[in-house]
Amino acid sequence: MTLFGALGFSAPWLLLGLFALPILWLILRAVPPAPIRRLFPGVILLRGLKDDEQVSDRTPWWLLLLRMLAVAAVIVALAGPVLNPRNESEAAGTAPLMVLMDASWASAADWRARQEAIEALLTRAGRDNRPVAMVRLTDPEEPRFQAADVWRSRLPGILPEPWEPQAAQTARLMSVLPDSAFDTYWLSDGLARDTRAGLLEALENRGRVTVFESPRSLYAIEPARFSDGNVALSLRRLRPGPETEVSVVAQGLDPAGNPATLARVPVTFAADAVTGETELSLPAELRARVTRFEVEGQRSAGAVTLPDDSLRRREVALIAGNENREGLELLSPLYYLTRALEPNADLLDGVLLDILPANPDVIILADVATLGPAEEQATMEWVEKGGMLLRFAGPRLAASDVSRDSEDPLMPVRLRAGGRTVGGAMSWGEPKSLAAFSPESPFFGLDIPPDVTVTAQVMAQPDPNLADRVVAQLDDGTPLVTRKRIGQGQVVLFHVTANAEWSALPLSGLFVQMLERLAVSSTPTQPEAADLEGTVWQPEVVLDAFGSPRDAGNLPGVDGALLAGDPLGPDLRPGLYQGEDRSLARNVVTSETELTAVNWPDRIVVEGLSRPQETPLAGWLLALAIAMLLADVIASLALSGRLRGARPATALIAALMFASLYPHTLQAQGSASSDAFAIAATAEVTLAHVITGDAQLDDLAHAGLVGLSETLFFRTSVEPSDPMGVNLETDELAFFPLLYWPVTPSQPTPSDAAYAKLNTYLRSGGMILFDTRDADVASFGTSSVNGRKLQQLAAPLDIPPLEPIPADHVLTRTFYLLQDFPGRYDARDVWVEAAPPDAELIDGMPFRNLNDNVTPVVIGGNDWAAAWAMDERGNPLAPVGRGFSGERQREIAYRFGVNLVMHVLTGNYKSDQVHVPALLDRLGQ
Amino acid sequence: MKSALALRQTAEEEAARLPALLARAEKLAGTVLLGEHGRRRAGLGDDFWQYRPLQQGDSLRSIDWRRSARSDGQFVREHEWQIAQSVIVWLDQGASMRFASSKDLPTKADRARLLTLAASILLVRGGERVGLTGWTLPPRRGNEQILRLAEAFTTDSTEDYAEPEARGMLPHARAMFISDFLADLAPVEAALTKAADRGVRGVLLQVLDPTEEAFPFHGRTIFESVGKSMAHETLKADDMRGRYLARLAERKARLEQLCRVTGWQYNCHHTNTSAQSALLWVYRAMDGGHG
Repeated sequence: MTLFGALGFSAPWLLLGLFALPILWLILRAVPPAPIRRLFPGVILLRGLKDDEQVSDRTPWWLLLLRMLAVAAVIVALAGPVLNPRNESEAAGTAPLMVLMDASWASAADWRARQEAIEALLTRAGRDNRPVAMVRLTDPEEPRFQAADVWRSRLPGILPEPWEPQAAQTARLMSVLPDSAFDTYWLSDGLARDTRAGLLEALENRGRVTVFESPRSLYAIEPARFSDGNVALSLRRLRPGPETEVSVVAQGLDPAGNPATLARVPVTFAADAVTGETELSLPAELRARVTRFEVEGQRSAGAVTLPDDSLRRREVALIAGNENREGLELLSPLYYLTRALEPNADLLDGVLLDILPANPDVIILADVATLGPAEEQATMEWVEKGGMLLRFAGPRLAASDVSRDSEDPLMPVRLRAGGRTVGGAMSWGEPKSLAAFSPESPFFGLDIPPDVTVTAQVMAQPDPNLADRVVAQLDDGTPLVTRKRIGQGQVVLFHVTANAEWSALPLSGLFVQMLERLAVSSTPTQPEAADLEGTVWQPEVVLDAFGSPRDAGNLPGVDGALLAGDPLGPDLRPGLYQGEDRSLARNVVTSETELTAVNWPDRIVVEGLSRPQETPLAGWLLALAIAMLLADVIASLALSGRLRGARPATALIAALMFASLYPHTLQAQGSASSDAFAIAATAEVTLAHVITGDAQLDDLAHAGLVGLSETLFFRTSVEPSDPMGVNLETDELAFFPLLYWPVTPSQPTPSDAAYAKLNTYLRSGGMILFDTRDADVASFGTSSVNGRKLQQLAAPLDIPPLEPIPADHVLTRTFYLLQDFPGRYDARDVWVEAAPPDAELIDGMPFRNLNDNVTPVVIGGNDWAAAWAMDERGNPLAPVGRGFSGERQREIAYRFGVNLVMHVLTGNYKSDQVHVPALLDRLGQ
Repeated sequence: MKSALALRQTAEEEAARLPALLARAEKLAGTVLLGEHGRRRAGLGDDFWQYRPLQQGDSLRSIDWRRSARSDGQFVREHEWQIAQSVIVWLDQGASMRFASSKDLPTKADRARLLTLAASILLVRGGERVGLTGWTLPPRRGNEQILRLAEAFTTDSTEDYAEPEARGMLPHARAMFISDFLADLAPVEAALTKAADRGVRGVLLQVLDPTEEAFPFHGRTIFESVGKSMAHETLKADDMRGRYLARLAERKARLEQLCRVTGWQYNCHHTNTSAQSALLWVYRAMDGGHG
């Protein structure tokens, strides 16, 4: 095997054959092409001319070049070229080998490929008898050098962890590294870390370091945020690349409780951008059911984000005792609650009984003393099922007897009458401030601002169970907030008002934090460590490195401060943590996580996981040579002018190739006949006749329209194309200005759909010329077979009142001036739409002012088609009258046809009174 | 080969695009075969000719009421039939005409027949008589004659290069010679001289294929005439081009000069240009020419 860069040859000496090419060039040049025989009448002018020189034209240089290239391709192909031949010498060595894996979430996406790479490495190490140690940086142990086969059996059990290696772990690994020399094979996850440089130095001191990195792009998703009613998702990728689109899937439970895909949204990374964002609009009910968002097709914990309560906006119903609409807004009992809750809860407004069926998470009763029995019972049921009733005291509650003698079911404690006032103008003492929260209180850990004071409150009766129910108290020990659990729900009473009347509490940030702790509202941002001080959170669902959810099992609870601030590790796994009243998610990737590609020093060999395949090129080169020889054949034929005969064959071959490449284009053309009909009918003005089913009659009608079309073509600027027969059931009628409908007793009555089409056609300006073809035997009033059939046919049609064509109808003057309308027969009974009854004849005008529509039907029996009918040579097909007067009648019949078509196409143009003077002049009046 | 009917149909379509042609009545007396100088009979015309009594078969509407009111009988108004001329046509039917360089082009014969017949139809429409040179088809008028002409035009001649038929020329008629004029020019010259002697003037339309004008050939080639009676081999066709084109130009110049001398008009038409333009030229030349 001889190597030229990435190209190797198995028989390189054959390449010497390339030197023979110039000789071949000279030989080919000397052979003249065969003569071409051409027909050419001008040969007579060539007689006697002699060629100037007796040397024929040489083969053109490009054809020679083509042949040379073909021969060269054959020679090179026989030399056995191979692209990217395996080089066995690399990654060899005899020193012990340490396989160091980052084994973080970022390497989980292509873990299988990494395993294969390790497996290949182990096989080679086993062949070379090198001891191997395998170390995961996320969970470092002391390297133990063992035989490769031992490790190979353990390989499937070595898995990545869902966190990133931290400084402590790296330091631990460095402390346990053996001092003897070994080579290192580092499977990096591609993310830059500060700890890498030190470790790399330590490893390089002990031997050669080879780094393997995946060229695949790594995708990560930040925690979903709630913005403007939508879920904002933002994605990152490790390396900027071309424009890419990935899908984010919202997984959750369907209403039946089964895991399902709730939504899917594409996210586009612009070219060279490393972040991509999108917004997902989900209804609140659906949003509450989402359990995870994941980047589709990425098996890594970084591509999964778990939403916690921050996405779950609670529904809070606000009900006040006295809605004083005319009072000052700041005095409204709900003002501060609304301001505190609006940013991160959905507020409901309404009457209690209307709200309860909506099953809100929280109902707040601000200074509501008594509830009706029905209300009380419904509220009780709701609380028992897990609702939270939050009550605020106020003047009404203080004045009422609620929970005075015995404890009201919807009150946590009994109340003393009247309450108390401290620090006011008429009382002793200072306003009271809050005492520190006890460790059992849900508010434990919150800072109490010194300016929160209470001047009035309702007092709890000192019952035996009072101490259990107090969750906040004043510094003199009187309860401020009491709580009672009922079933799965609870009732909480603030012993002060919800506005600033009795205390400064609603004015402080503490009020909002207390509402958050009570899970009345959810926190919009990730909580600070201080916020969670003193709480313990139980892991519910944890993620493994591949992003799959695992049951937390008996993992220990996590301190709130650690949960908020600590980096992920073996003690703090990514997942969903359940607190007292809400859940909190720790995701692998947060908005602070930095994704940066590692910048390895130049001296380190970095290899991708996938190496280029060994590709033999001989077959391709031989195929290329054959293709070039084929091209040579065609080019030679073309040069000698013999391609003409072969053209159909080449066209056929090209068509076959095209058909095999694009089979669907041929199929698509199968259903284009209706388009062809439409194009044929609309390319030019086209007259049409209704197909009656009587072949002879249809042929005559067609010939008649051919004759009329010819007449129009020669005499007017209307240049119709060939007339068409129209099947009322299947064909579209809208394309035709005029339908000729010969009536025969045997023709079928059209279907309802066809009548609907006909009526649309008539209403939209079409015209039907009904021809009963029996004017020789029947005149109007006498019934004939055809006449009865016509009545039957036309009954469902939307035809206006008719009248015999009046002498001043516009049909008499649209092109020719006519007085009667003969066809083969010359009856006067031609019926058109009746003129409006108010049409007036103005003195001195020859016709009435009839500016109405085009008549939708013309009905007669003069067998016009027979009079118009002509064959291809222009000879009439049917006899009309006798002798010269017959020809005259045929001429008038043509003129009637011309007038009819002109009437359809120009409407009442000629009825316009503007033309009266010219018409008068021509009429000689 | 198109059938006579199809040929007529296309020619009719071609002719329908132009107004009827009235060839100039130059030498009135000489062309009228039957001595009907003055055309004193009723017919197609604009001028009043006579009133005649109403006959059976006349439409009542054709009665001229103003004239009839002056007497007891009913009268019909008639117009004068105007004078017609004779046009004789020679169309080259030789094998050299049956050549087209590409599938997309008509053969020269096709194009020449179409033009000739279209011109004939125009002339007949205008009331002229049209016939062939020689004795086969003397000039007549009417639709029947067009069909006869179409039939005559569709017969192929076997000879490679046809010579013009100059016999049977009516004195002071108009003539129309349509050919590729690639054959020997002596018979053409003789025919034109003879025509000029008899006061016959007309048009000479040369129909050529674009390759005959361009000679776009290369390399070793054997050229053959359509009838295979003539062949010429060359090793380098490109070198021939200059000399061939010179000969063609010389031939055209010779034809043009002949026409100038005899009072004819000459034009060269290529089959890749529109037939309409050629017909227009013929129409102009026949209608408004110097003859």
